[in-house]
Amino acid sequence: MSALAAVGPPNPREDPECCSILHGLVAAVESLCKITEYQHEARTTLMDNAEHVTNKGRIICITNAKSDTHVRMLEDCVQETIQEHNKLAAGSDRLMQIQQCELVLIHTYPLGDDTLVSDRPRKEISPVLTSEVHSVRAGRHLAGKLNILVQQHFDLASTTITNIPMKEEQHANTSANYDVELLHHKDAHLEFIRSGELHPPGSASRDSSLKETVTLKWCTPRTNSVELHFCTGAFRISPVDVNSRPSSCLTNFLLNGRSVLLEQPRKSGSKVISHMLSSHGGEIFLHVLSSTRSTLEDPPSISEGCGGRVTDYRITDFGEFMRENRLTPFPGPKQIEAAARAPLERAKDQLERHTRYWPMIISQTTIFNMQAVVPLASLIVKESLTEEDVLTCQKTIYNLVDMERKNDPLPISTVGTRGKGPKSTERHQRVLDCIVACRSKPPEEEERKKRGRKREEKEDKSEKNGKDVEPDKTWQESERLKGVLECEKEELAEAEIIKDSPDSPEPLNKKPRLAIEETPPVEKAKGRTLMKMERLADNEDNEDN
Amino acid sequence: MPTVVLMDVSLSMTRPVSLEGTEEYQRKNLAAHGLTMLFEHMATNYKLEFTALVAFSSLWELVVPFTRDYNTLQEALSSLEDYDKTCLESALQGVSNIVQQEWGGAFPCQLQNTDVLDKLEQLINLNNGEGQIYTVDGSLCLKNVQSMFGKLIDQGYSPFHAVLKCGNLTSDVQVFPRPEPVLIAEETEPVLRTINTDLEIVGFIEIADISSPPVLSRHLVLPIAVNKECDEVGTGIPEDTEDENSANQIAGKSPNFCVLLHGSLKVEGMVALVQLGPDWYGMLYSQADSKKKSNLMMSLFEPGPETLPWLGKISQLGPISDAKENPYGEDDSKSPFPLQPKNKRSYAQNVTVWIKPSGLQTDVQKILRNARKLPEKTQTFYKELNRLRKAALAFGFWELLSGVADLLERECTLLPDTAHPDAAFQLSHAAQQLKLASTGDSQYAAFTHNITPMPTDFSGSSSSERM
Repeated sequence: MSALAAVGPPNPREDPECCSILHGLVAAVESLCKITEYQHEARTTLMDNAEHVTNKGRIICITNAKSDTHVRMLEDCVQETIQEHNKLAAGSDRLMQIQQCELVLIHTYPLGDDTLVSDRPRKEISPVLTSEVHSVRAGRHLAGKLNILVQQHFDLASTTITNIPMKEEQHANTSANYDVELLHHKDAHLEFIRSGELHPPGSASRDSSLKETVTLKWCTPRTNSVELHFCTGAFRISPVDVNSRPSSCLTNFLLNGRSVLLEQPRKSGSKVISHMLSSHGGEIFLHVLSSTRSTLEDPPSISEGCGGRVTDYRITDFGEFMRENRLTPFPGPKQIEAAARAPLERAKDQLERHTRYWPMIISQTTIFNMQAVVPLASLIVKESLTEEDVLTCQKTIYNLVDMERKNDPLPISTVGTRGKGPKSTERHQRVLDCIVACRSKPPEEEERKKRGRKREEKEDKSEKNGKDVEPDKTWQESERLKGVLECEKEELAEAEIIKDSPDSPEPLNKKPRLAIEETPPVEKAKGRTLMKMERLADNEDNEDN
Repeated sequence: MPTVVLMDVSLSMTRPVSLEGTEEYQRKNLAAHGLTMLFEHMATNYKLEFTALVAFSSLWELVVPFTRDYNTLQEALSSLEDYDKTCLESALQGVSNIVQQEWGGAFPCQLQNTDVLDKLEQLINLNNGEGQIYTVDGSLCLKNVQSMFGKLIDQGYSPFHAVLKCGNLTSDVQVFPRPEPVLIAEETEPVLRTINTDLEIVGFIEIADISSPPVLSRHLVLPIAVNKECDEVGTGIPEDTEDENSANQIAGKSPNFCVLLHGSLKVEGMVALVQLGPDWYGMLYSQADSKKKSNLMMSLFEPGPETLPWLGKISQLGPISDAKENPYGEDDSKSPFPLQPKNKRSYAQNVTVWIKPSGLQTDVQKILRNARKLPEKTQTFYKELNRLRKAALAFGFWELLSGVADLLERECTLLPDTAHPDAAFQLSHAAQQLKLASTGDSQYAAFTHNITPMPTDFSGSSSSERM
């Protein structure tokens, strides 16, 4: 707009010979020869195949021509200029030859006058130049013609949304129905063309002077709930009459976050929802919804498939895990940070760390069902711990050991906590050492020996691989301990209380709930608890694994 | 994508085939044999595919409508009679009708025609090169027919096995239907890309944020139990034999990551973003069919680093723990999505459009309405005035500026006695500025120059105008 303002309106006192559109046409050809950044990059990347990068263009010239002869003169001028500049371009790096140029001449004349120039469809002037002539009255007729041309040039199509209820200012109690016409890429109508309901643009039945538009009915949104639709395309739209009251009413409605479903009007049969209008970040898109019958109907039931008979998946815990692993956009890398790991890679790294130890079912874990372990489990996630964090972890461990010593039943609840495995740092190592130390305490040893043979085995193993363990070897150690742990787990799995998690698949035959005396499982749980905590503190990358 | 078997039952198919052995086969026996192979394969390994059987000669008949019951198809195949001459065209028309009726709209289908014709090649060309012809290599004999069908099965009907990963949590899965290779138009040559067999989850996004994205295709993701002892793979669905029964029972009872993932995605209303290859992504989600039964599904996005404008460049998405503060807010009330485009769209701005006279009228009336409410509406008055001024200068419509200046002067004379004195000052100041701009004088008609309110001070003398 500011460039137009700088040019200003035509000066009626200027010499008509100096104001020739030829200057404009020559300047247009010149700028078509100039290489763009995209072309330059493409040519450099393709190197040997640089000739695949094309240079084609279109010149739209709005002028007032004097006659058909004048028009021919303009065409010849463009042709000569292209030839001259192509010669120049051959010898320059900053210029490219024009391979194809479309000249669109729009002759506009005042209302009330007759046209002295005739319309002419596109014809080839030379292998590099085609030309077409449109004759149109000035004013809104010119706007209408440009509307038709823009659809041809940019592969657009028109959709009219009908039946939009809008309240008028004067009659606030009633609403009237309005139509709004939108432009968008023609692919949004692909399904209509395929099913034969619409003729493809450029076909014989489409008159280029008439505008064809597809009418879709507005469906009043019933709920505010967001659904995931099966969508096969999404195209930006542009209202034809951008500042008319109905148009701005519609666009404001969408920009405020509401989505609208659009219905294909049908004379008979059931309602077919074919499209949806939705705004994303201030940009309105027309989504194409698939309305055909799905070939994936009647899929096999989950409860009949692998893992379908298990009833105590940690669904809620995994839900929390997912929320913690949600994605967010980060700004693009600046030059200095080019070597830094891409955010998506860091997301993958985090997932890997967090899933090194993630039991899928409730009966496979006790520590994640225990409120007392929450501080430890949530802190050990972090890539690096503070001194305070280490103290908190140690306190949690001592607390648990205390409970064991006092023979308190450990509070096992279904409120899950997450377990994650970070990279070992010096502080992590101290937490691990604390766990190991607790397990090696003589009074503990005595008590455990009373409780079971299996505990002894673990005991021996931890003593052998005691405090002298180097950080590199702690993973292997915990793997061995893990092996013992697995055996115990399997035995316990049958015996422990089977809890149904809310969203596990329904088992075909509900298993009776088994109630077990609290003490034996809990005791075993304690031993396992410390083991598991070792694993948590220990999780370090090991190639052998 | 559904399959239509188009079987030629014309007399030409009863022509005998010369064989080395003593048995004499007719062409149609060979065809039936090959199709039996196909049906058996589908019944075992690809049972979710819908198939129909159409027989044609001079007319066509839908012998078996679309079904997943391969026994029915098999039986129908063996009871086909012979008819008269071959007429492929009407048969293809019939197939098109059937497909349209059953599935509605356009649907890519696989045709199995059992007679070789040049016309088929033309057809494929018309279909933009999408399609394949399988012919028997060598002489028509059982073995060659078998190998041709074998090729067809391998390329079109072999189940797609993959490994679904989320960090260290994994599951072996079958993706149905088989993801088709995608043609990418590159600068040099078009490239055919297929998805990886390692499907790696990279993170999670709320359903409201992913906002019904456009997808190339969607598939069921079914967990499978890979039997390590032999090559056979089962989907865990109960079969007839006892051995398979117990194997499936065991599979049913071992926890599977797919089931966990599906359950949580459904409860939380989220999708999992999955990487399918370099710069190619998709999403996993829970989808309920019309009968309220839900399954884990995967949709593939268009290949590319940034195919969803509201998500931005996918490689720039990272874990929220890396952000200074949680972009979703403490109570999940916010979201970092959608990303805003660099330029505001026309409908999101105050654009001046005077194609129709009503547009111009509205804008002028807006100014006059505000003029009558000065000095309360001073801000809005000047904002609208400057918008009109800019548009008039850009369109070279200088006469409008002097016209509106006249209107403002007239408004000034129509001010009631009760009006604030400032109103008169502003109106005449604005009118004067507009008149100067309408001369085209570079000092007053600069595009970026804005008319500012005249500062008035009613306790003392009026200050000079500011440029």
